[in-house]
Amino acid sequence: MTCFISGGAKSGKSALAQDLAVALAKGGRRYYVATMISTGSEDDDRIRRHIAQRDGMGFETVECFRTIMDCLKNADKEGVFLVDSITALLQNSLFPVEKNYEMDLSAATCCADELIQFARTVRHAVFVSDYIYSDAARYSGSTELYRKCLAEIDRRLAAVCDTVIEVSAGQLVIYKGDLRI
Amino acid sequence: MILLIGGAYQGKLDYAKETFGITDTDVYACGSGEVDFSKRCICKIEEFALHHPDPVSYFMKSREAWQDSILIIRDIFCGVVPMDAEDRAWRQRAGRLAQYLSREATQVSRIFCGLEQRLK
Repeated sequence: MTCFISGGAKSGKSALAQDLAVALAKGGRRYYVATMISTGSEDDDRIRRHIAQRDGMGFETVECFRTIMDCLKNADKEGVFLVDSITALLQNSLFPVEKNYEMDLSAATCCADELIQFARTVRHAVFVSDYIYSDAARYSGSTELYRKCLAEIDRRLAAVCDTVIEVSAGQLVIYKGDLRI
Repeated sequence: MILLIGGAYQGKLDYAKETFGITDTDVYACGSGEVDFSKRCICKIEEFALHHPDPVSYFMKSREAWQDSILIIRDIFCGVVPMDAEDRAWRQRAGRLAQYLSREATQVSRIFCGLEQRLK
């Protein structure tokens, strides 16, 4: 099963995604695709919190900051992949830290294409994204472009995934498919 | 009338095109001017609300003209209260209009990542 999960901040997306990935694995291999490049102590704290949260769930961590297909070099594609989050993956590609965050649109397109390819290649994957589209704020050009790119990936993933879920305060709105395993 | 609501870039217009057989020539995208109600699909209604002082009255007066239309409005209502007074007023006008149109609609759908959630 491939599942796409989105929703607002702190809505319980990651917890749902972890539980789902464990259930899908049925005792088999499950990979946590770590996507975040730490930029300081705040990120370090968040990463530590996430690692503690996953403790005992049996995940193997695969670091992948950009090209998601690279995950498959050292992982069994019959396993379950938890990709948390699309937001971080896109950020790493669109605003590369080693190029001083200078916008790289072609890398963002590549990131999107690879994610779709990945969703079609693996047997089980759970993708987590962030819903950042329902406010009246006017963003700078680059931020607006980031939102647009992320929404495009979300829509393409939602189209190819078996199940699409929005999480709100821990409750689920199922737009497509179901959670039967 | 069918009302489609959803956040930015969620595929509201694409959904209308696929579901109701709308083409680009059937679509009027709102701006600062009068709404062309001869088009089957009116999108970016939040843009109309940005420029018009009383969009609810405007739509009430032209009620007959959009009874069989597909209306699309962006959900701009879930963020922090905007710092800018004009943005706050815009959000309120657009919100009141969305509520009015939602009451009038025979169907209201929210579009999330290109997928429909039926609200009414």
